Amino acid sequence: MTKKIKLKMSARLLKKRPRRSSSSSRRRCRFCDSEEQRQNIDYKNATFLRGFITERGKILASRVSGTCCRHQRALAKQIRKARTIALLPYTAQYF
Amino acid sequence: MHRYEVLMLSVPEITSDETSNLEKGFDKIVRDAKGTLVSFERWGKYRLAFPIRKNDYGIYFLARLEVDDANSLKLLDELKSFFAIKVNDLVVRNMVSKLDMNASLVYQRPRSLEEAATARDVNTFLKENKMEGLLPGSESAAPKAAAPTGEAEEEVEVAVEELDTDKNGEDNEGDE
Repeated sequence: MTKKIKLKMSARLLKKRPRRSSSSSRRRCRFCDSEEQRQNIDYKNATFLRGFITERGKILASRVSGTCCRHQRALAKQIRKARTIALLPYTAQYF
Repeated sequence: MHRYEVLMLSVPEITSDETSNLEKGFDKIVRDAKGTLVSFERWGKYRLAFPIRKNDYGIYFLARLEVDDANSLKLLDELKSFFAIKVNDLVVRNMVSKLDMNASLVYQRPRSLEEAATARDVNTFLKENKMEGLLPGSESAAPKAAAPTGEAEEEVEVAVEELDTDKNGEDNEGDE
């Protein structure tokens, strides 16, 4: 049984392959750029919010929709509000 | 000054008398709290995303009001009891939100069933969506445009954890 040699930190770092910089992560949040889009984030605007939920009614992840953290929180809050008054579904069972 | 809006969902069988009573009751509460009712709109009949009290349809009302800072808490308490006790049979859901005084009163809302039913013919749809090039006058073969709201999507969605039992061999595309 050979003993595993623990490499030094510098050697470990050299062995690591450099990650490809993904161009998709540089996409800008559509709400950060436009005031008009920000005004669309409203629980009453169910037609707009439908673009941010899946077929099953689940809220899309920000890595999928490309929204930044701040606007994802606002968007999700409005979607949850719309769900309580039946403008959006909780689940696709009722589609 | 605070500005609030209340979105109410009522049963679809509400009569016009009951609607006016609702509006009057609402107005009375707002006046008692020395506020002003900015608007009371009837959105119309909508198909709900899920059944509520065994109803698949409902009628939405949106009311906007303004009130002083001193009376706002009192007004909100009164509204709470109004919805809980007085109009409990009629109004099944309500959502009170605070609005920014400086923000505009313009908002977007989904199309109601009454609005959707009126002449969704091809020409108005094309004009609305700026596709005049497809109108029958301009080109010979104009393909019929599909209305976006009425379509039921036929995608079969399967998540990795749940194995679907359909045996038709169809390619299951998932959004997730």
